[in-house]
Amino acid sequence: MVSKTVQVINPMGMHMRPAQLFIKTITPFACDVTILANGQEINAKSIMNLMAACIKQGTEIEIQCNGADEEAALKAAVELVESGLGE
Amino acid sequence: MRIVDLLSKERIVLQTSAADKDSVIDLMVDLQNTGGALKDKEAYKKAILAREAQTSTAIEAGIAVPHAKSESVLRPCLSAVTLRQGIEYGALDGQPSDLFFMIAAPLDGDLHLEILSHLMVLLMDPKFVADLRAAEDPDAFLRIIDQAESAKYGSQQPEHAASTKKVPMHQPSTGYRVLAVTACPTGIAHTYMAAEALEKAGEKLGIPLKAETNGSGGAKNVLTDEEIAAADGIIVAADKNIEAGRFHGKRVLFVPVSDGIHKAEALIQKIESGDVPVYQHNGSVMHTESEHRKEGFGRQVYKHLMNGVSHMLPFVIGGGILIALAFLLDDPSIDPTNFGMNTPAAAFFKTIGGVAFNFMLPVLAGFIGMSIADRPGLAIGFVGGSLAAVGTSFWTISGSAEAIPAGFLGALLAGFAGGYFMLGLRKICDRLPRSLEGIKPILIYPVLGVLFIGVFMCLVNPIMGALNTGLTNFLNSLGGSSKLLLGAVLAGMMSIDMGGPFNKAAYVTGTGAIATAAAAGAPSTDIAYQMMAAVMIGGMVPPIAIALCTSFFKKKFTPDERKSGVVNYIMGLCFITEGAIPFAASDPLRVIPACVVGSAVSGALSMLFNCGLMAPHGGIFVFPLVTNVWGYVLALAAGSVISMLLLAVLKKNRPQE
Repeated sequence: MVSKTVQVINPMGMHMRPAQLFIKTITPFACDVTILANGQEINAKSIMNLMAACIKQGTEIEIQCNGADEEAALKAAVELVESGLGE
Repeated sequence: MRIVDLLSKERIVLQTSAADKDSVIDLMVDLQNTGGALKDKEAYKKAILAREAQTSTAIEAGIAVPHAKSESVLRPCLSAVTLRQGIEYGALDGQPSDLFFMIAAPLDGDLHLEILSHLMVLLMDPKFVADLRAAEDPDAFLRIIDQAESAKYGSQQPEHAASTKKVPMHQPSTGYRVLAVTACPTGIAHTYMAAEALEKAGEKLGIPLKAETNGSGGAKNVLTDEEIAAADGIIVAADKNIEAGRFHGKRVLFVPVSDGIHKAEALIQKIESGDVPVYQHNGSVMHTESEHRKEGFGRQVYKHLMNGVSHMLPFVIGGGILIALAFLLDDPSIDPTNFGMNTPAAAFFKTIGGVAFNFMLPVLAGFIGMSIADRPGLAIGFVGGSLAAVGTSFWTISGSAEAIPAGFLGALLAGFAGGYFMLGLRKICDRLPRSLEGIKPILIYPVLGVLFIGVFMCLVNPIMGALNTGLTNFLNSLGGSSKLLLGAVLAGMMSIDMGGPFNKAAYVTGTGAIATAAAAGAPSTDIAYQMMAAVMIGGMVPPIAIALCTSFFKKKFTPDERKSGVVNYIMGLCFITEGAIPFAASDPLRVIPACVVGSAVSGALSMLFNCGLMAPHGGIFVFPLVTNVWGYVLALAAGSVISMLLLAVLKKNRPQE
């Protein structure tokens, strides 16, 4: 398993559009993707879970990838969050 | 925030049919427009469609959540629609959508995200979704949501949705769901009372809470980074600035320390409701702009003032008691004009005490400035305070003997002027290119700040000096009956709010007066010391009177109150007025007038007996230093007994169970 902690920087946090983008980005990867945020463990491949977590701007999230292509998935996910989730 | 509060049955249409995505959106926009939540329906619809054009808001499992955050929305509102026959809505999983929630959110704040999150938590439960789809009428629909919300967000340990693996959200491994930081300016009583009240309230609500106390002895029970990360939110109940940078990105509720004592349960519930803004720590400034505005200007000023006063206090107490000891150890018959420096021991105490006193005004101004503008405000305040102490002006640049110190009033002004100047300077400097970021705190702020305060104080000092001299002359000229009035007013003010603005105003006057008098080498019979005596006696009466009343009029108190009443003897004798607060707070209209009258009487008597006090704090421990101590004891006893009798008359009998 690989993991990295990043900060959500886009002003409105993980609302629906960023969540959709996130899902779209990581769905092609086979590994499990989990986000630890606000004391929750979130299945990051479920859009509802992702939005239910209420991740706001400034929140530190830990992205964990576990599976065959974990390195690539983590890299893609981290880059996406660091770039402001498309916002 | 609850879904059922945002969704009303007029905005729910169930088991209907719709041809396509556009007609569902038309229907829902019309629903949103009932009830006056929209300012401009067309603009709102445009925003909804613009959002759909980016990517569809259909999520999965036949659910779609069209939404817009727009200035055309006056207040947040929800509408809901279910369809008998699902329609193509562009869902990622390709399924037709038949359950719709539409969210309208105003532009500002995180509410949009919170509503979305709240809704998703509910919608992750397949049974809940199935119940909603099956609902026949809006009342039933709302009832299903209400029950689900109560189960998830009510006071019971909420069960998290099925598809998340763990349930740590409401029971973090650190054991604390809510954290608190309490702090009051003096850090002796309120800090700990608020912490205790919050922890008790947490226990009562079944929500584990840890409270960090930022008292005068430094921070105790300090919150760890893990605890902060795992908590739902943090309550900051403080009347002075606390280290808040560590709470960046968490929900933080900033309230006065008194709210921590009196509204503990409501605060915890507010945190748990999630209706608390996320704190953004911008650089080194303690509070965001919006919080400043919310706090109200008066409270801000009070907080800045108290930050200065609380940091100044140790210098006043240490220096004051040492100087008083110097007088005690000296023999005025050797050389009355050099009183306090005649014997080697006295000279030692007086010199050391004087050095401590020299820091008073710089520290006062410095920490006021720091409270306003954070660290860059410290230097500017220190320099301003020192200039106020010396009395430098353009006419007495080299500090000639004619310079009249602006005294503590000048230092207050220097602190506030310097602090706000620095705040403005920092705003202006925000426009500078980022490459200059590094030299701001090490070059721009200090140089411009110190230059500004130098010019400012050189202009202000003559005026403040004259004003201060005038006030001192006025106070000194008050003799006979008006001197009694002065004592009564000072002492009475001490017990009006027991640590609040009235109390501190009187206290600052007293400590400021003795500092000025000591610096000027005034004799121990100086009116300044008598003012201080009146101030202290005024602050000692309330706890002592309450303690006496709990001993002699037991029926006026509950058994619990009587137990804590005993401690008030000690608190009162040590001049810790705060001990009376729980009693005053529980019955203010009777307790406060009773205390004020007794304090005022004791203050007037203290003046009548010409009692003087050279130390700014200490209660019974500085009694040996009091001029005419027996008169002082008599005044204290008289005031306390009067307050006790008034309490006994005014207060009603309490249940004795």
